Amino acid sequence: MSERSIVAFCCRECAYAAADAAANARTALPPTVRLVLMPCTGRVSPLHLLTALADGADGVMVAGCLEGQCHYREGNFNAIDRVAFVQRLLESVGVEPERCRMFTMSAGEPPKFVAAVKEMDRVVGALPRLERPGAPAAAAPAGARGAA
Amino acid sequence: MPLTSRGRELLLRVPAERLRSTVGVGCEIVRHDELCVGCGKCAAACPSGASRRGETFDVRQLLDAPADSRRGALGAALRRLALHEPDGLIEVPARVTVFRTIDFDAERCLGCGACARGCPADAIEARPPEVPS
Repeated sequence: MSERSIVAFCCRECAYAAADAAANARTALPPTVRLVLMPCTGRVSPLHLLTALADGADGVMVAGCLEGQCHYREGNFNAIDRVAFVQRLLESVGVEPERCRMFTMSAGEPPKFVAAVKEMDRVVGALPRLERPGAPAAAAPAGARGAA
Repeated sequence: MPLTSRGRELLLRVPAERLRSTVGVGCEIVRHDELCVGCGKCAAACPSGASRRGETFDVRQLLDAPADSRRGALGAALRRLALHEPDGLIEVPARVTVFRTIDFDAERCLGCGACARGCPADAIEARPPEVPS
């Protein structure tokens, strides 16, 4: 199970703080997850999500503030719609849309963050490894860079 | 000059064939959909309602984007993941403001070239009419 990898784009104001608190409380996270700190989930573009998947992740998750509680007012609403858009893109080319998910939580809810990561780990673990039929053979994973 | 929303509303009532014969300027408009980023600036600039921003997105447009275009990296990432050719049009959520396929109605087009001037991705070419010498 642990050979899967999940990239979690976390909002600095809530999800990353919740992850920090969870780590301070010595809560174990699934080893599959890699956290990426974002200033706000509104910064996450479809390019981040698709490049992560194309370069080696089996699933991507975006963890942001509760609806209506975005530090920058509505960044998380933008992220919710972009995640929905990426899910539709994936679906239209035959990739399971569950590989991209959005979760919301507040900074004071470390258990909710841990539950979200475990949920993602469970869903992605149940899926086969992500195939990349269009990738050049044995391409080295590179970082997600650039802007849409 | 940009039209007011009322002005546009009035203009949209004019039948297509009358529009073209009375005020047509006559540039030939060539759209390169694989370069289009779907921002809708051409639709906002269009005085006659020939270009309109749709609610759907054609995924093929993204997969066909050349590597050095604005959509190149995104298209390449999706191409690597694609198990088959896209099924067709997908609905675009309201807050995703780009990624719209633009409906272009050549019948209503005046050939004014406002869309080409407004395009940030150089996806529209306005070819001026041949001037008889």
